[in-house]
This record gives sequence, C-alpha cells and structure tokens, in this order.
Amino acid sequence: MSRVSSLARYSLWQFRDFVVERGVAILIIGCLYNYVLMAPLRGALASQIVPGRANPMWGIALQVASTVVSLSVLIAVNGIVSTDRKLGYYRFLFSKPVNPVLYYTQTFFVYMVGVLASMLVLSSLLRTILPTFSILNFLLYTALIYVAMGGIGFFLSVATHYDWLSLAVVWLGSRVLRSLYGPKNDWRSKLVELLPPVHKLDDVANTLIGTGTAHATDVLWLFGYGALFFALGLVALRWGSLAD
Amino acid sequence: MAGLPPTDDAYYRTAALVIEFRNVGKIYKSLLGNSVKAVEEFSLTVVDGEILGIAGPNGAGKTTLIAMMLGYLRPTTGAVEINGLPPRQYIERNGIGYLSELIAINPKWRAETALVRFATLAGISRSEIRQRVGYVIDLLGLDEHRNKKVKALSKGNLQRLGLAQAFLRDEQILVLDEPTHGLDPVWTQRFRDVVEELRRPDRTILIASHNLDELQRLADRVAIIDRGRLQRVVSTGYENTAPVAGTRYRVTLASGHEFIRAVFPQAEDAGRGEYDVTVRSIKDLNAALADLISRGALIASVVPERSVLEQQFREAVGESQ
Repeated sequence: MSRVSSLARYSLWQFRDFVVERGVAILIIGCLYNYVLMAPLRGALASQIVPGRANPMWGIALQVASTVVSLSVLIAVNGIVSTDRKLGYYRFLFSKPVNPVLYYTQTFFVYMVGVLASMLVLSSLLRTILPTFSILNFLLYTALIYVAMGGIGFFLSVATHYDWLSLAVVWLGSRVLRSLYGPKNDWRSKLVELLPPVHKLDDVANTLIGTGTAHATDVLWLFGYGALFFALGLVALRWGSLAD
Repeated sequence: MAGLPPTDDAYYRTAALVIEFRNVGKIYKSLLGNSVKAVEEFSLTVVDGEILGIAGPNGAGKTTLIAMMLGYLRPTTGAVEINGLPPRQYIERNGIGYLSELIAINPKWRAETALVRFATLAGISRSEIRQRVGYVIDLLGLDEHRNKKVKALSKGNLQRLGLAQAFLRDEQILVLDEPTHGLDPVWTQRFRDVVEELRRPDRTILIASHNLDELQRLADRVAIIDRGRLQRVVSTGYENTAPVAGTRYRVTLASGHEFIRAVFPQAEDAGRGEYDVTVRSIKDLNAALADLISRGALIASVVPERSVLEQQFREAVGESQ
C-alpha cells in the first residue's frame, strides 16, 4: 500500500476530527450570530421587507455572513499544526511512514472542505430568511477567505504556538494600520502595502456574495497572499524542527 | 539467548550498519541568547540485529539524541543517518516503531480507535488493520480497555497503549524510550519477554532507560551518556567482562555456614545466612564457590552487589562529574 493512499485514507479521520473539534463550534457560533442579529431585525423590518438586494436586511446579512466566515476560518486553522507540536502528538504520528508536509497539506484542505460544509448548512438557513441569498456565491467567498486568511493562519501555526492570537492580531492590526497609514502617500503607506490585503475584504464580500463577481486583482491579491504564506508554512515545516 | 550478536569490537566494525551518529551536537538557544549544550560530539554506530541500550542520568541528553535520530530535531553539528539516509527520509519511506518517554495521544480518542488511526498512517491495509490491532491489543493485554478513552487509562495502561502502537507494524527499527516506566512488575517482565521475542538478526532495537537492570538483561551493549557526551559503551555479556577488582557479592548459604570463613576469610555476616564477600575476579569467585561446595556447603544464591553495567555506569557518570 502506497504511503499516499494510506494518508488519503486518513483524511476521513481528519474530517471526523474537524467535525467534532471545530465543525460543531462553527455551526453553533454561526447559528447564534445569525439568530441574535437577524431575528430581531427581521421582526423590526418586517414591513420594509422587499425582494432582492433592496431589502434592508441584505446589508446586514452580508456583514453577518462575512464575519461568520472569518470566525470560522479562525476556528478551523487554530492550532492546525501547533497543537500537535505543543502537546507532543507529532511523536507517534511521524514515526509512521508519513511526510509531515503532505500530512498538514491534507489537513488544511480537509478542514477547508469542513468549513465549506458548515457554511453550506448556515447559508441554507440564511436563505430561509433571504431567499435571494446565493449559496454558491457565499461558498466561493468562503473558499477565497479560507485560502487568504487560513494560509496566513497556517504559517503562524507552524511558526508559533499562539497562532489564533497572532492571526487575530495580524488580521485586525492590518486593518487598523491600513486605515491609518494606507491613504497617506509616504513610506508608511508603502510599508503597510506588505500587510495582508484585509482592506479588500469588504468590497470582495459585497461583490462576490452579492453578484458572484469581483475585481480579479482583489481576488488575486487575497488568494495570492494566503497561498504564499501557506507555501511558506510548508517550507518552514520541511526545514524546521518538529520538536522544540 | 541464542542468536545474540557477538560482543567483540571486531563484530561491530564489520556488521551491517543501521544507525550512525557522526559527531552529533545539539545546542539549544533561548530568545535571550542563552545557550545550553544538550549533546556534544556524540559518535556511535548501531548494527543489524543489535539491541542497544542508552543509559544516563536525568538531563543527560538521551531524549534529545532520540529526537535527532527520528528527525524531530536537527543537530547543530554532525549528522545522523539510518541505513545511509537522513532520518526523516528513512522514516517517511519505511516508518519506525517508536515509544516516546511521554505518551502523547489525543485524550479524547478511544484506545482501539487510536490504534486503528496509527495503523492507517502506518500503511497497514484496510483488510489487515483489524487483525493487526487485535494482535497488539492481545499482546499488551488491552482488551478490557479497548473502548476506554485515552484520558481514562491509568499510567500503566497508557504505557501499554504506547507500546502497542510501536509494535503495530513489523518494523526493522524499534526505538523505545523508558519502555517500562509506569508498568507493574508483571508487565515489566512481560515487556522483557516481548522484546526477546522481537529480537531477530535483521532488526535493531534501541532502548533508553534509567533501569540498568533492565538494560543489563535486554541489551547487547549499553551506551552510557552524561552531560550530552558518550562516556563509554559497555558490553553486557559476562564472557568478555574484564575482571573488576574488588567486586562484592552476597552469598546465601542454606547449610555449611561453618565453612564460609575458611574459604572467604574476610566474609561479613549480613545475617539470615547471608555473607558479603569481596573477590578479585569471576574466576576467583568460581574457585572459592567450588571449594565451599566441596566442603559440603549448600549455596542458595550468589548475587553481585552491583551488576557489571551498574559498576560501569557509576564509574562513567562519576568520572564525568
């Protein structure tokens, strides 16, 4: 039996781990967030509900949906590598004929499938309130954010033991620094250009979830940035030490 | 103990090399710039069919050496090779049976599920997994614990689960770090029997342990390390043991107590028919015991105060300090 096929068989266990350890949490948080924000508004704005994007709930739904995606990705990639290293699980895992780079690449994509499945459930629920909400567009947006944000999270999980915290700091810090220095035309504005392109998220969320289209450059920026960090994480995994 | 590798140096120079540590060093550096030398200029070869023990006091560098041997840590200097390959390359191709000192298995997994997962990763085919998992569960007596969560297992049962996952596949190399830690006497003895059963000419076994008695019984050679350095390599076979001057033995007599001072003039009475005697060599000991028997004494037991390995260990660790 080839090493690749045995690793592929292990993906079912990884998916089960995702469901038990992360998927349930994502669904609960997603449902609560949707319910807490959307249900009262639905009652309050009942008289103004119109079909399509003119519906005043549409903007709120977009905001809720994009926030739930970001939270889900944060939950999904939290500890994706660092937990095994912190708790020593790597010792038995990688005494087997398994390449850690392939193992964690597979984990990353299995968790991506898990996040997409969770978002499918949540967006199906949202669609009962907003029938024009496109599940397909939402899943495209989820996949993009998973690569963009998850790629950075993956790198941080290889590089540090405090990955969820550092990812939150990087993500929020980039937003703050870009809003502070981005518009200025000096060395600081050039420097913040190197930070994750979080400023493109709102536009991409609006257009991609709303219409299924988005500026190609924005999508490429987000995708490329995440993919680059994901690749850097794999390189660090290959050349670094699994033990501390 | 038939089939053991000979203990002479010539054998180890010519036998098929399996693991090689070449001038390996490891320095840990903290963020503040402090550095600690965990291993220094460590060179050692391990050959096919050998059981090598690694002994050393706490913090001697045993676990760091094993982590470098498995490719979990990169040496700061030197290199480790397994069958001529860098460790990770070898393990990713072939796998290795490994028991770590700390048994780290997800506490939420059930014992049997954990073994099925490890068996899947080890490349055991779907059709063989149940049979192989069943075999190691029987071997390590885990049947009544198979459905328990890992967090519910006692220290001894967890240790046995760790051993079970190391024995899942028929590996060429086994690395066992403190294998009997937490095991009761029954399972400690059972473990020794299992290791003897696992011994074969094309398999290499490394055992790191504090338990010198265990290494004396199981290993062909024992590498004694202290403060990250290889102090000496000791053959555990008695046939090549150079006479150690002034070795003390406790001789227990069932009868013939009156003859003891005629044979061992300096014998010290330890009570209950036991006497502490000092001899210059095993040859002298045997001659004296033969004399004692010929006078009509019945000897119940002769036990060295310290094993050859223990004496060597004390000397090696004492010298390094």
